Amino acid sequence: MADMTDLTVLAALPQVPAFATAALALLVLLLVLGGAAKMATAGSDAEPGGLARLGPGALMPERWRKPFLMFCAGGECVLAAGLLFTRHPLPRWGTVAFFSVATYVLWELRRRRPDVGCGCFGEASGTPVGLRSIGRATALAGMAVLVTLVPVSGADLAARASLELAVAFGAGLALLVVLSPEVSETIARVRYRAPCEQRAVPVARTVSRLRASAEWRSHLPMLESDQPVDTWRELCWRFFVYRIKATAGAEVVFAVYLSGRRPPVRVAVVGADGATSTAGTIGTGGTPGTAHASGPAEGARAAGTTGAAEGSGSPGDGRLQESIGVSGRH
Amino acid sequence: MGVERRHALASAALGRTTTTSPEESPGQAALTGIAGQIIDISPHLVILENPDGEEERLVIAPWATAWHGRPTAPAELPAGTRVMIRARQSGRVAERLWGDITRVTGVILALGRDGRDLTVVLDCGPHRGTRNVVVPYGASGRIRVRHPQFEPGFLFDAIGTRRDGVTRVALPATSQPTYRAASVPSPPPAYRAVQSRISGTAAWSDAFDDGEAGVAYPMLERADSECEDAGVSCTGLPYLALGSMLYVGNVCESRGAVLPIVACGCMAGRFCDRCVECGTSPRGRIAELSPLSFVELGGELTNGCFNARVGLG
Repeated sequence: MADMTDLTVLAALPQVPAFATAALALLVLLLVLGGAAKMATAGSDAEPGGLARLGPGALMPERWRKPFLMFCAGGECVLAAGLLFTRHPLPRWGTVAFFSVATYVLWELRRRRPDVGCGCFGEASGTPVGLRSIGRATALAGMAVLVTLVPVSGADLAARASLELAVAFGAGLALLVVLSPEVSETIARVRYRAPCEQRAVPVARTVSRLRASAEWRSHLPMLESDQPVDTWRELCWRFFVYRIKATAGAEVVFAVYLSGRRPPVRVAVVGADGATSTAGTIGTGGTPGTAHASGPAEGARAAGTTGAAEGSGSPGDGRLQESIGVSGRH
Repeated sequence: MGVERRHALASAALGRTTTTSPEESPGQAALTGIAGQIIDISPHLVILENPDGEEERLVIAPWATAWHGRPTAPAELPAGTRVMIRARQSGRVAERLWGDITRVTGVILALGRDGRDLTVVLDCGPHRGTRNVVVPYGASGRIRVRHPQFEPGFLFDAIGTRRDGVTRVALPATSQPTYRAASVPSPPPAYRAVQSRISGTAAWSDAFDDGEAGVAYPMLERADSECEDAGVSCTGLPYLALGSMLYVGNVCESRGAVLPIVACGCMAGRFCDRCVECGTSPRGRIAELSPLSFVELGGELTNGCFNARVGLG
C-alpha cells in the first residue's frame, strides 16, 4: 500500500514522467543496438576477432560462448519490445535485473580478465572493461528502475513529445556517450580508415563503374563477349580482360581504380604476342571527380616511367600503391 | 587463362615496365637453391637428379653441414634422399644440405596415439588438403613445449622429414599462437601514412612443386584465387592477386628478390608470430616462400623463418 502511494507521488511530480519517457527511449535504443551488434558478432564468429576476447563469454566454456551471446542478444530484443509495447511490470523488472547483473558481471570481468572488452556492442566493445563501462551499466540500471516505478510505454513517447522530453533525452544520451568507450573507438576507426589497398571492394560495384565509363563504351563493339575471361585485383586497381572478336589471341585489359564514384579507367589492347598496341586513360572529363580521378592515373604513369616516389597530387589512397610499386624496382 | 600473364597485362594497362630484376645485394655472393634426389654422395661430391630429370654434380664444401631429421655430416645422407641444397659459385659448391625436409603448417583436426608416438591430423587449407603427421616420442617434448594448446582448432607448425609417405616432425617451427585458427586478431588500425614496405616474418612451405620459385601470399581476394580461406591476415597487408610480382627482402641477410605469387597463403595469414632470426621482427607472417626461394634468399630451412620486408615488385 505504501509502495502504491510512493508511486503515485512520484508520478505526480511534473518532470518525472518526462524523465521516465526519455529513460525508456534510451533503454530501448541501447537494448536494440546492443542486441543487433551482438547478433552480428555471433554470426561472424568464423572471421577474425573471436568471441574469446569479448565480454562475459570469456568467463564461459568455449562451446557455450556463441549460444550465450545469441541468448543475450535475443533477451535484449525481447526486453526492448516489452518496454516499448506494454506496461506490464515483467519486462521492466527484467530490465532492472539485466542491467544489475550486467553491472556485477562487468565488475567481476574487470577483476578476473582485465584484458577483455565488455562485448556490450559486440565487436565494437573490444576496449578492456573500465569504470566507464561499469558506470554505463549502473546508469542504465538506474534508468530501468525509474521506468519500473513510472510505467511508461512507447505510447507515452509519442503522446508526450515536448521540449522537456527532448532535453531529458539529450541529457541522458550525452551521459551515455560520455560513459561509452565505443565512441572514441568508432571515431578512431573512421579517422584512420583503412587505405583503399586494404579495403574489401565488391567486384559487382567495380563492374558497374567500368560499364559506366567512356573507355568501356568505346571498346565494347570490339569485344567478343561482355563477360571477362579473367579478373583480378592488385592493390587499388581491379583488372578485367576481354577477348577481341576479330583478332585471335588479342585481348583488351581494363584497369579500374577502386576508390571514388567516378574512378579513372585505363585500358590497353594487347596482341597475342604480348605487344601493346594502344593504351590510354579516359579521365572522367567534365565531371566533379576529374581532379581526383587523374591523381592515381598520373601517379601510375609516373611510377612506370620516371620512378618518382610519389605521384604529385595523388590522393592519399594512391600513395601507398605508388610508393610500393616504385620502390619494388629499386 | 593462366595467371602468369596477369603481370604483363596489368603492366600494359598501367604503363608500368615489366622488368623484374632482383634487388641488388652489394657485397653478397649469390646463393643458388638446388632441389633433387641423391643418386650418389661422398664426403666431397654429391650427384643428384634434379626435378627435370637431369643429373647434377656438386662439390661439397669442407665447411658444409647437413640435416636429416637431426644435424649430420653430408656424406651420411643415404642415396635416394630428396635434398634441398644451398650452393655458391653459381650452384657448383654445396654448403648446406637438408634431406627429406618437410614442413607441416595447419589447423589441428584430430589427435591420436600410435604406441608411444602421437598422431595428428591437420587441415592445411583448401588447396593443400589434410595431412597426417607423426610426432615421435623423442620429439614430443620439444613440440609440446612450443605447442601448449594441443587440441583441435588450434594451429600447428613444425618441421620434420617425409620418407616413404610418412611425415615425422622433429622441430617446432614457431611458438603456437594462443588463439584458435578461426579467431585471428584483427590488424591494427591502418594509418594513411605512406608505407613503402611492409615488415614481418617470411616462412617457407612445401606446398610448392619441387624446384619451383614463388611465394604464397595471404591477402588475396577469395573469388579471384578460388581460396575460401584467403583474405585473412593479422598485419595490414594490401590486396594482391595470383600472378602479381612481390618483392621479398631478407632483412637479416640483405638479400632481395622479386617473386611471383603462385599460391594462396591462407595458413600464413593466421599466424601472428614474430621471427627472432636477427632482432625481433614486427608481428605477422606476411609471406610463405617455396623452399627454393627461401634458400636463395639466405634462409635456413630448419629455423623456419626470416625477418622480411615485402612490397609490390
